[in-house]
Amino acid sequence: MSPAAPSSLESTLPQLLSAFGPPGRESGVRSVLRRLLRGSGPFHEDATGNLHVRRAGPGRRLLLAAHMDAPGVIVTRMEPDRGQARIAVLGGRKPSELVGALTRFEDDRTAIVTWERKDGADPEADQLLLETGLGKPVRGGSPSRARAGSGAAVRLEVGEVAALDERPTRMGDYWCAANLDNRAGCAALVHALMRGRRLSYDVHAVFTAQSDLGARGATTGAYGIEPELAVVVDVATWSEPKETSGFTPGQGPCVALKEQGFLAHPEMLELVRKAARAARVPLQYLIREGEGSDARAVRAARTGVPTAVIAIPARRSGGVWSLMHARDLAQTADLLAAILAGSGDAKGRGTGGRAKRTRAKSRTKQRTTKRGGRR
Amino acid sequence: MTGRRIPRSGARRGAAPRFREDLLEALSNESGVSGDEERVRARIVDAVRDHVDSLEVDAMGNLVARIGFESTGAGARRNGAAGRARRAPHVMLCAHMDEVGVMVISIEKEGRLKLRRAGGIDPRIMPGQVLRVGTAGLRGVVGILPPHLTAHGDDEKVIPFDDLYLDIGAASREEASEHVAIGDYAVFDTVYERWGQTRKGKAFDDRGGCAVLASLVQERPPVPVTAVWSVQEEVGLRGATAAARRVAPDLALVLEGTASGEAPGASEGESAPRMGGGPTLTVHDRTLMADVRLVDLLQRVGDERKIPTQWKRPGVGGTDAGRISLSGVGVPSAVVSLPCRYIHAPAAYLDARDAQRTVDLVWHTLHALGKEWSER
Repeated sequence: MSPAAPSSLESTLPQLLSAFGPPGRESGVRSVLRRLLRGSGPFHEDATGNLHVRRAGPGRRLLLAAHMDAPGVIVTRMEPDRGQARIAVLGGRKPSELVGALTRFEDDRTAIVTWERKDGADPEADQLLLETGLGKPVRGGSPSRARAGSGAAVRLEVGEVAALDERPTRMGDYWCAANLDNRAGCAALVHALMRGRRLSYDVHAVFTAQSDLGARGATTGAYGIEPELAVVVDVATWSEPKETSGFTPGQGPCVALKEQGFLAHPEMLELVRKAARAARVPLQYLIREGEGSDARAVRAARTGVPTAVIAIPARRSGGVWSLMHARDLAQTADLLAAILAGSGDAKGRGTGGRAKRTRAKSRTKQRTTKRGGRR
Repeated sequence: MTGRRIPRSGARRGAAPRFREDLLEALSNESGVSGDEERVRARIVDAVRDHVDSLEVDAMGNLVARIGFESTGAGARRNGAAGRARRAPHVMLCAHMDEVGVMVISIEKEGRLKLRRAGGIDPRIMPGQVLRVGTAGLRGVVGILPPHLTAHGDDEKVIPFDDLYLDIGAASREEASEHVAIGDYAVFDTVYERWGQTRKGKAFDDRGGCAVLASLVQERPPVPVTAVWSVQEEVGLRGATAAARRVAPDLALVLEGTASGEAPGASEGESAPRMGGGPTLTVHDRTLMADVRLVDLLQRVGDERKIPTQWKRPGVGGTDAGRISLSGVGVPSAVVSLPCRYIHAPAAYLDARDAQRTVDLVWHTLHALGKEWSER
């Protein structure tokens, strides 16, 4: 099967940004990905909700991971007297960022996040409410029944999950959206997979689920693959200049040196640098605390996996919105395609046999690097 | 251990097994803080050994029973079937044996015992409690000065856990050491009682689930089942993490005792789930997004069998299901809980009807799984 004609990132990204995919409810993103990747390999969906795409190749088993989920909210209890529902946040969003956000349920019902105001204080998680706009919601029943719906408009049930505002906009060179983290990573990975004619690896792409709940999809996804090396694609977001580690939107993709539960693997860092040089993509470095990616689960899978994290820079700009430079996204796709083509490996494009020799060599290199410290 | 098979009457064929209330009583009265589940395990072994096909204790102390493997032919079909042929799923049912309690961490000169928590206990409930310490079940009280000797205002303060002590009446460290050793566990001194449909006792989280699970394996299940009574849940879901790796089930149902929300002044929403409102289903907690297909199936079976079900408050708590679901390549998992008032405290209440309903719901769900579950 030959991959379908590649569409442009400009048309792919909005489709992914608009897809339904809160943690544990990634069905919408999965179906968009299946459509975008039609013909590029066998699909498999696992118990955690990960979408696996295999592109068999000659070299080592390479896991490419990009998480599909974006933060959402879950209804925790009804407030029948006020036509509102209590909610909990699913994933890494501060309550203050959510106030005012439009949320959408899988069947297109919408509601607004509001809060019980207390003077002068920022909203706490237990003050968040969903404004249904329809007075008293009907009680009883179940999430699945509510989904089936009997014509009732905004009827909510405990346990229902909504996604955050999914309308992307383009402002000059920048994408502005609530779900860039990590639909942008998914888009870059899709394009790298569609572009790669000749692969230097046996490629297992996993679009992971439940990442925002603690790298859960990456835990089970990596286990089944037993990868020999891995690249995690994610987004690096900052909201205050003082929090940055020196990366700037518009200056190219980041490779992570350090993040929560992860330190760069020297061999993989070198692989990414080489591929970036080959693809003429500028690289920035990411060092972050208290925030991480699927890498913390992937690198610890089975007996351990040499792993790299490539993160697309983004800037949090208030509320649920983030900005991302379109060129950073395009260059991330270029970088990933170069990695798939083997530009990062010592001998360039490797066959099965060659890959083995390459691996032995880079192990030597890794030891040297360790002795000398990271330069 | 391989159990003797006892003949089963055909009369109850298809009907769910009866809830073993006698076992709930025995298990509730037994002490078994996390790491000290031995006596609870022995009670369960006695209760189930004649019903299951194999029974073993693993390295961590989990009790693992297998039942229904050969009769459902799961193994044969698994190897022989080509392509998409459906086979009965291998179901792991899990309930944890341990309860929250305290451990003696030092014996003071004056004979007082210093305590450390095992599992989540609110320090507000501790002062004045009578505890049973050690294997001999020696009673002591968590000491607190009477009002006469309490400084004005101190009666409104919560005593931090580290300042609490257990007084067994010993006059010196030497005297206390004759009866208690450092590392001994202590539990609330509560005896099981009945009041109408209400059952009162300690450790219903999760001896309620343990008794439900033991009740279920009295009859041969329609699918191959590995029943796991796990250890060390309250201190970090540890036993089930290890058990799930070895059992490697197709799906898992965790049986729990969960907190009901009724309290004076609580709104109807805040009161949910309610004791007496039926088995409680989890959508999401701190450790798990429950498998949607399993939750839908549990709910549908409840509707069809006229078993009321209710929702656990999303986002709070965590269970063994969190770890089981992330085992291997992932295990579709759900939680069915008995709603209990006052868990993690000296006396919890549950409704006996909820216990039987939980047995019914899980039993009929196993039948439905045998008929219609297919791999994704």
